[in-house]
Amino acid sequence: MSFPSQAEEQALHERVLKKNESLASQDVFRVFMAPITRVLCRNRRKTKEEAHDAVCDVLMEYLENPERYLAHKSKLSSYLTRNAEMQVRDMYRSQEARQRREREFGEAIELRATAPNRSLEIIVEARHLVGQLEQAIQEQDRAALGLILQGERSTDALAKAMNLPQLSEKELRREVKRNRDRLMKTLGRIGKEE
Amino acid sequence: MSNPDWLERAALRAQRASWTLAYTLERYRQLEDRTEAELARDLGCTREVLYWLCLCRKPEGPDFDTQVTAITERHEVDLRALVDVIRHVEIVDALSERVADSNGEERPIQMAARDRVPGEKTSP
Repeated sequence: MSFPSQAEEQALHERVLKKNESLASQDVFRVFMAPITRVLCRNRRKTKEEAHDAVCDVLMEYLENPERYLAHKSKLSSYLTRNAEMQVRDMYRSQEARQRREREFGEAIELRATAPNRSLEIIVEARHLVGQLEQAIQEQDRAALGLILQGERSTDALAKAMNLPQLSEKELRREVKRNRDRLMKTLGRIGKEE
Repeated sequence: MSNPDWLERAALRAQRASWTLAYTLERYRQLEDRTEAELARDLGCTREVLYWLCLCRKPEGPDFDTQVTAITERHEVDLRALVDVIRHVEIVDALSERVADSNGEERPIQMAARDRVPGEKTSP
């Protein structure tokens, strides 16, 4: 099925503009649906269903606002086909964006997730290590170690957790470093033993 | 002539626009709890004809009669039943709007003749 002549298109457009002829919208579908779908399938390599959805949306948009089509600028069929091509492109872009979002989300999950058999081993190892740490590290050092493992770098915060007395800034920094090194050395030793 | 493969899909998409007959028919189907097949039977037509009707602009205004007649001349459909369906939805929507306007929110409306089938004759 091919596009109608310009005179036929114009006559149909005038019927649509009046908005008082119920069958005019049905005729727009009868006249344009098949040829525009064919153009989309050929030029854009879309499936028939994708093309149908795009053409439907464009025809509905035209029927709702027929005055947007300016007859002196182009043929109605050209106007509708161009809009349908843009609609297909928009649909393709939003589909691609959705797929990219889903892929990125999937990759993030994949990176963070642990294989089911491995997670059980990790739980056992962690429990064993905690037992070792409790034995190797004294009660007063545990708070400081907790902060260090959480990435705390503030001298004051670490000094408080280490129960250091009032010292000058320079001495406090040196004491915090000394205690920190000692704890890290202990951790390193436990790690080597394992 | 066989029906095109896009017909059902287009009819479904047309339901989104309130100016279409598709919107009115779908609204009626929901209000009256009818299946598509039942609605087609009420209108005295096939499902395919029902899909074609969906692509029409809803008849309204001073040319209402002319528009409905034109539809029934092209498609085999019961004119009286089609008018009943359109009017039924118009009345329910108008009442819903009035209730919504006076109360600020929509309330379900009790329809006295809800169980009447479109086109069915009523005793005077």
